[in-house]
Amino acid sequence: MTSLALQPDAQKTDTQEIVVDEVFPHAPAVVWKALTDGALIGRWLMPPTDFAAVEGHRFTFKTTPAGEWDGTIQCQVLEVVEAQRFAYAWRGGHEANVGYGSRLETVVTWTLSPSEGGTRVRLVHSGFVLPRNDSAYRNMSDGWTKVVQKLDTVLGEDGR
Amino acid sequence: MTETIPFDAVMRALADPTRRAVYERIVRADEITVAELTRHSGVSQGAVSQHLKSLKTAGLVAERPEGRKVYYRVEPRGLAPLVDWMSLYGVFWRDRFDDLRALLKDIDPPEPASPKDPNP
Repeated sequence: MTSLALQPDAQKTDTQEIVVDEVFPHAPAVVWKALTDGALIGRWLMPPTDFAAVEGHRFTFKTTPAGEWDGTIQCQVLEVVEAQRFAYAWRGGHEANVGYGSRLETVVTWTLSPSEGGTRVRLVHSGFVLPRNDSAYRNMSDGWTKVVQKLDTVLGEDGR
Repeated sequence: MTETIPFDAVMRALADPTRRAVYERIVRADEITVAELTRHSGVSQGAVSQHLKSLKTAGLVAERPEGRKVYYRVEPRGLAPLVDWMSLYGVFWRDRFDDLRALLKDIDPPEPASPKDPNP
C-alpha cells in the first residue's frame, strides 16, 4: 500500500514534507543496493552523474530547465547507515521562478526497516518552503493526479 | 527556437474542466477537427474553438491545416512543465516507488512456485 502524505515538516513549521511508505517483498540488503548503486538508481529514478554513496560526496541529476535554472539537481550525501538509512540534499531551481523550477533546498531521506515478508521503505522528502511552493498544495487533487498519470504516458511516447 | 511556456500558463489552461475535457479528447484521438470535437460535447463550436486557442497558447496542442480543415493533436512536450513540477512534489515519488518495485522484482525474482502447487 502506498501512503502519500503532504504534511507539515516535523522540525520546521514553515516547511512541508512528502512521505511515501511501502513494504517491498525483498530483503533490506537488496533494497539498499537499489537505493545506493548509481547504475540501479538510473533504472528507477534518474541516471545520476558522479554518484557515490559516501557521506559528503556530491552528485547531480539533470531534469527539464526552467527560466534561469538549467535543470540540474545538486545533491550531496548527508548520511549513510548500511541497509538502514540513506539521506541526501536535493537542491535546485532558481529564485526568479515560481511554481516549477522555484528554489528548492530540500532533503531526501530513505529509511529501511525489516518487516514481515520484506522491507519497509520510508521516503521523506522534506524542506518544501511555503508559500513559495504553495500552488503545489492547493492543486494536489486526485483530478490532477489522474491527468498527470494519463499524460505521463504521452510524454513517454514522445521520448521514443 | 521554442519559447519556454511558463508553468502557470499550463496550469491555467488545464484548470477549466471543459477545456480539460477537450484536451483529454485530443489526447485519446490521434488527430481531430473542431467539428469532431464539438460533436457530442454539449458546447458550441465557437466555445470549443476558444478552448483550442487557449490550449494552443499554453503549448498543449498543435494544429495542422489541410485544405479547409484544421486538425488538432497533442503537443507531447506541452505537459512537461506540469509533469516535471509535479515530480518535485509527490506523484513523482509514488511513481518512482512503482519503478523501484519493478526493478527489485527484476534483480531479486520471487521464488518459483512449488511444482506441487495445484493452482496454475
